[in-house]
Parts: sequence; C-alpha cells; structure tokens
Amino acid sequence: MSRLLFIALPLLVLASIPLYLLVLKSPPPMPKLDLEEWWGPPELKQKQDTSIKPFEITFSETMVKELKERIKKRRPFAPPLEGVGFKYGFNSKQLDSWLKYWAEEYPFAERQKFLNQYPHFKTNIQGLNIHFMRITPKVPKDVEIVPLLLLHGWPGSVREFYEAIPHLTAVSKDRNFALEIIAPSLPGYGFSDAAVRPGLAAAEVAVIFKNLMARLGYKQYYVQGGDWGALIGSAMATFFPKEIIGFHSNMALTLSPAATFLEFVGALFPSLIVEPELANRLYPLSEKYSTLLEELGYMHIQATKPDTVGIGLTDSPAGLLAYILEKFSTWTNPDFRSKEDGGLSYRWTKDQLIDNLMLYWSTKSIVTSMRLYAESFSSRHFDLKLDEIQVQVPTWVLQAKYELAYQPPCILKLKYPKLVNASVIEDGGHFLSFELPEIFAKDVLKAIGEFRKLKNVKTEL
Amino acid sequence: MGGLFGLVITSCLTIELLASQNTEPAYKLDPNAWWGPECTKYHNDTSIRPFEIVFHDKMIADLRYRLNNHRKPVPPLEGIGFEYGFNSNILDGWLRFWAEEYPFKEREIFLNKYPQYVTNIQGLDIHFIKYRQKAYAHQEIVPLLILHGWPGSVREFYETIPHLTSVNKSRDFAVEVIAPTLPGFGYSDAAVRPGLGMHEIAVVFSNLMKRLGYKKYYVQGGDWGAFIGSSIATSFPNEVLGYHTNLGLSLTQKALSLTLFGSLFPSPVVDPALADRTDLLSGHIRDAMITEFGYMHIQATKPDTLGIAMTDSPGGLLAYFLQLISTGTRSYFLNLEDGGIDKYYTRDQLLDNIMMYWAPKSITTSFRIYAESLNRRTLALGISEIPTPVPTITIHASDEIAYQSPLLLRTKFTNLLYTTNIDTGGHFLALEMPILFANDVLNAIAEFRNWHAKGGHGNGELLPNNNG
Repeated sequence: MSRLLFIALPLLVLASIPLYLLVLKSPPPMPKLDLEEWWGPPELKQKQDTSIKPFEITFSETMVKELKERIKKRRPFAPPLEGVGFKYGFNSKQLDSWLKYWAEEYPFAERQKFLNQYPHFKTNIQGLNIHFMRITPKVPKDVEIVPLLLLHGWPGSVREFYEAIPHLTAVSKDRNFALEIIAPSLPGYGFSDAAVRPGLAAAEVAVIFKNLMARLGYKQYYVQGGDWGALIGSAMATFFPKEIIGFHSNMALTLSPAATFLEFVGALFPSLIVEPELANRLYPLSEKYSTLLEELGYMHIQATKPDTVGIGLTDSPAGLLAYILEKFSTWTNPDFRSKEDGGLSYRWTKDQLIDNLMLYWSTKSIVTSMRLYAESFSSRHFDLKLDEIQVQVPTWVLQAKYELAYQPPCILKLKYPKLVNASVIEDGGHFLSFELPEIFAKDVLKAIGEFRKLKNVKTEL
Repeated sequence: MGGLFGLVITSCLTIELLASQNTEPAYKLDPNAWWGPECTKYHNDTSIRPFEIVFHDKMIADLRYRLNNHRKPVPPLEGIGFEYGFNSNILDGWLRFWAEEYPFKEREIFLNKYPQYVTNIQGLDIHFIKYRQKAYAHQEIVPLLILHGWPGSVREFYETIPHLTSVNKSRDFAVEVIAPTLPGFGYSDAAVRPGLGMHEIAVVFSNLMKRLGYKKYYVQGGDWGAFIGSSIATSFPNEVLGYHTNLGLSLTQKALSLTLFGSLFPSPVVDPALADRTDLLSGHIRDAMITEFGYMHIQATKPDTLGIAMTDSPGGLLAYFLQLISTGTRSYFLNLEDGGIDKYYTRDQLLDNIMMYWAPKSITTSFRIYAESLNRRTLALGISEIPTPVPTITIHASDEIAYQSPLLLRTKFTNLLYTTNIDTGGHFLALEMPILFANDVLNAIAEFRNWHAKGGHGNGELLPNNNG
C-alpha cells in the first residue's frame, strides 16, 4: 500500500503541474488601461491639436552635409580577427565600402522623393505627434476597402513595407476587397514623437494606436505586425477585440509559463508538440538557448541602459550603420555570421538599407527607439502578464524559415485560441515584408480573406 | 527589472553551463601560442624597450573637434537619474571639460611619471610599468604583478603605487611594481587571431615575468585582473608566492551549488551580516545582475559591432565608461542625476583612464576579452574548476559587484589565509581608496612571507576573519 503511494504521490505532483498550468490556472485580469494617458509635455495638454496634417520627409541640406562630414572624418577602425566573418559582430573590413557609398553615392534627393511616394501625415495622440503613411487604393464600385494597420519593429521602420505596399493594396479580380494601409512610425521611432516621461511600453503603444485608428475614423480594422509590431499588435488584439477583427503576425511568440512548459515537454517528446519536419526550428532546446544567449546582447543592454549606448550611436553614423546592419545580416539568416560581408547584399540594395538607416539618423531617434525595450522589459510591464491573457480575435501567423524563434500551433493556441492558420515558408528571415514583399503580401491578403469569411459567418448567425 | 528577462538569461546560462560539461577540451594551454602576425613569428625580438605615452597634437586636435561637434543627445526622460543609463543632461558639461579644461600636456607628463616599457611576448608588444623606490639594505625587493581590468587601465594604480612601493624601515621587504596593460588594451598590442582569453593572457603574463627575470612573484588583481591572476595562480602555482585580490571569486561548480543553496539557507554558507551581498535568488542580486550586465552580454557576443561607435565618438565612449564607473562605485548612484561620478574621483583621473582607450584606439580590442573568455572553449579548459594551493588573501568592498564568503572561496583557494570586509568602497578600489588598498596589499605580502617562512604548508585553516 505504502509502495503504491510512493509511486503515485510523485506522479500526482508531476501531473498537477501541467494540469495547473494548462487547465486550472486562471488568467490574470485584463490590465486597466488609461486611454487618455498623456505622453507629451504637460503644458500642451490644454491645447491639444487633433487635426491630421499632411507631412513630407525632408533630408535637409544641413543634415546631409553634416552626415557626410562625419562619415568622411571617421576614425580608422580596429581590423577584425582573422577568419571570423561576422561572428564577433559587424566586420570592420566591410565598413569602408558601406560608408563610402553612404557619403558619396547614396542619392539623398532621389531617396527623399522615393520615401515621399506614399502620402504621409501626422496627428497628435495623447500628447505625441504620431507619423503615419496612409495609402488608399482606387477601387471599382463592388470592391470593399478594408483598413489594415501595419506595424514595424526595431531596428526597422515604415521603410520595410514600401515594396510590399503595391502588392498589399492591389485590386484583384480574385478578391472582393482591397486594403487601405495605415503604417505608423512607433512612438520614439522615425518621425513620431517620443514620450517625455517613463512608462510608454508595448501595452501603452497599443493604446496610442487604438486611438490613432479612432482618430482616423475606423471602427473596425485588421492589424499586421512583425518584431515589436507583432507584440504591439498582439496587445491591441488582446485589449480591443471589438475594434480588431483580425490579427496577422510574422513573429508569433508566446512566453507564458504554460508555453515554456510545453516546450520542455516537446524536448522529451517532440512529436507531441511539433511536426517532425519543423522540429529543428525549435529543438534541440540547448541550441535554441545557446543561440538566444549569443544574439540577445543588444536586447539586454537596450532593456537596461538605452541612454548610454545610444549616445555613441547618435553621434557616429558608422557606429549606427554597423549596429543596425548587423541585425539585417544575422536576422536574415544566422549562417551569414560566417560570411565576411555578412550576406548583406543577398536580398537588399544598399539604398534600401540606408533608407532605413536614414529614418533613424535624420530623426536622431536611436535612443528613444531603444527605450521601448527598457519600458517593455520592466517588471511593471512584465507583471501585466500579457502572455497569459488569451486573444479573442482570429489570428493568422506567417513563419519564415530563419525567424528568430519558432513555436508550433499547439503552443501558439495557448495565447491565440482562434488561430486560423500558420503559414510555414522555407525561405525568409526576420524582416519578411522587406525581404519577400510579394510572398508577405500574398499571405496577408489570404489571411484577411479568411478573416472576412469568418466575420460573415458570424454576422450571418 | 527582472522577470521575464531574468528568466530567459538564467535559463540560457544554466543550459549553457550544463551543455558545456560534456564537451571534450578543445585544446590545452600552449605556452608558445603566437598572437601576432604569422610573418613576425621568426623575428622574435626579446628586447625590453623604454616607452613613453605621447598625446600627439594631431590626436588632440581631432579629439577636440569631435567633442565640440558632438551631435546633441536626446534629453532624458523626466524625473530619472541614471536608471536608463547615462543621463544626457550632464554630457555637455563633461565634453566641454574634456575639450577645454583637461590639460592634455600636463596629463601626458603625469602619465609618464613611472618608468614604462614594451617587450614582445608571444607576438604581442606588451606595455608595462616597472617601478620601485630605493630600499634599505636589509630589505628584500619583492616583485608584485598588479593587474587591471575593464574598463580600467594601469591608470587605476597611479595613486596607490607610491604607497605600494613605499619603503618602511620596519618592513623586511619593499615592493617593485610590475603593472602591465592587458593585451588589446591601452598601449599593448591586440591578438590578430581568435583565442586570447583570460587563461591565455595568464600565460602571456607568466612569460612576461620570466622575460623580466622573476622566477617567483606576488600577484594582485581586480576585475579581469582578478580572473587572470587566479588563472596564473592555478596554471603556475610554483611561480606565485601569494595572490591578493579585491574581486575574490571561485567559479567552481561547488561554489555555484553553494551559492544556490545559500540563497535558500544563508547561515551555513555566509556570515549573516554579509548575506545580502551574495543572495542570488532574493531578487536584489539577481536584479542587479540583469540591470547591470548588459554591457558584458553585448561585449561577449558582438564586441566588434559596439566598438565601431565607441572608436568613432568620444562622447559615446565617455558615456559608456562613466555609466559603468558610476554604478560600479556605489549602487545607489543609479538614482542620481549626475551619477555620483564626481563624488570619489576627479575628472582628470577618469579622463586619464578614458584617454588610455581613446588615444591608442583600443576600445574594440578591449571588448574582445569578454568574447574570448566567456565562451565554451574557456569553460572546457576546466582551469576555473581546478583549485590552487597558492596562499590567497582577499578584500571585499561594500559595493563590489560580487561577493563570496570564505567557505565558497576555499573551493578554489585552498590556502585562503584571511579575508577583509570593509563597509565602504566599490569596484575600482585601488583608484578610489589608494592608501587603504596599498596597506591591505602590503599586509597581505607580509602575511604571505610569514606563511612561507613557516614552511608554507596550508592546513586549510582560516586565520581569524579580518573585519577592518
């Protein structure tokens, strides 16, 4: 009898862990959000301007001249160690060609024109002037225009969407709808103002964008996001299921205790958790954690000392280029770490990547962009336990081969119970819309098509 | 700030530690490893050449230009001190001081006050100070190898050297200081190929001491100097007469287990009065590690990326360094708008140290010590696991970044003679409290000499704890 207890008791304890995590544990409460939290200077609160003003990106002559001077006057950089490629970070042997191009060949006026090809605007939300692009397609009478909020991340910008937008907004016989794109710059990024006081984390950015869409007159809309855009979009879908009628993410991740538990279960019994041909995107776990440790140094320092590391990056264009382009190398394909040129010419032209850099350099927004990490990785934000609150909005994920982390549907469903589909592609990395604009757009349109079908079914009922 | 991030980092580190246990040692330490260009290997120059630090006019003009044309930083968030890092409100003041008040020529003369040399060890020109004062006839001259760390330099020792080398009739010895610059730092060459981690640097310094004619010597180290010193004491125990450190740490698995155990049950592991200096699970220490070790994480993984901005922007380099010096000196400086930087140091002192990185352009190569030492290869060498019988004495400042009790230290330093705990002082102890530091080192050397005179057998018994 006692021997039975001896075996049964530990088994019961073991079984209770998943039972608790997966079934019994009640989700945390929905956070109390202040929809009118003020992020700007207090003196402006009384005279808030709610107009929507057209905006044009300008690369002023002064700014360009100064940038070129700084690039030309750069100090010589320490040579890389022998034979290391990008394994110790950006290989300084590559810098000269990049910097020479930036200072002498990058056509500033042309690129300014290029960046202004889509209509830009600014409007003040909760004290911050939020920059956004709005692209509205011309459609025949029987085609419905549906709004899509498109959210970028770090170290990206709205620039990541330029090649995808024509495909996203295309009118097609195969669809009874066409997308109207609203692509804002995150607060503290590019041409959007930064908060003047602490506290503006992903959850609060979600509030700002909800208010932005309300300002623009949208009652219901779809959201697409990658990187921080995925986290912010996910927060929006969590908080505002009435407004958000579909959420598409190309970096779907959930980090709840239950998710971690399932990942560990899958380490022992992979077939329970993941399709065999996708198992190597998650397992072995030791490799995954090893890679994370190797690659998350930037996240660690940005989540703790953004204002320190940002000073050099604000001052040195070479420093900023190396810091940001290192991510465009490694996050596109981790094998690029062995390449001496970091594989940077694989998918992009120099103009494309420097366009994105210019949105950080010309606006001096690198420091404020990094603060999003410090704010969102604070214990205050973590204690909201957003990962443990389910999203009641239809969700669709696109999973590129070299995205930084992968989770299979059974894990994602812990957070996204209305997961409609997970598109797995054998190509592409973190900056998917930028890298594979057509494939990206196709998947987003497919997702919205499905979301619309679900919506119609619901309303018919 | 802990939570999710702490969980991820801790899991990664734990799994990394466990995974590395199974790797076969990649290679053993090579006493003749060549770190310079291949082509220089056969022209081995063993001369010891005098060296002088020079702040060239061109370098000064360029630096001033950059400082005066520094791109105005973004203002800090309202109502904070250094919680998000270096508070940019004080940047302008510092840069103006550096450009207009820091007396370059005077400082150059100051930095050359001690005789300096370079000599080529294993392909690298190693810069070092070698200095002693005139001793009495009855006194034995004892060599002390003193090792700096990051973001320090030999500059950290300038105020303590006169006291360390002071000649006191009542002592039967006088100290000759040998203070090298770590490879890749300051005016020492950097390795051209991967692999020069802390244990390999220990080999370089053992060879340096041989080059200088010392068969046996004492070692003192803080920060990386502590790890390198500990490595020298482990790999070359017959050379080291005694090891003194202000960052005593055992990196053995035993110590790690005891630390975790001590987090739950402190009293068998650590003096209750000092328990909160070591508790890993309470949140206080763990949180401090998360908030303060970002620099270590990025330098250990992407040194060359970060190095570019730091090579190009003196303001960037200054902010980076001063933030670390701030929090490394007193943890409460985190909440001060000026980071408390002017409290215990003069601006000249701190800028001298920064010049040792700016002038020789060694910031990137200095970062690499993290990448080369915090990796599986270094772990696989297993040297940190091996205890050393070299007599050891430690001093523990109140705001040092890490603390281990004697119980833990003895898992590595089997002849730990005594430890001193002070309720003041920070990470940069030699610079902050040069007299106290020097006295502790001199007392230690006297104790080591006693120990050797008595036959030098360690019975592992700890002398009464010295709580100064």
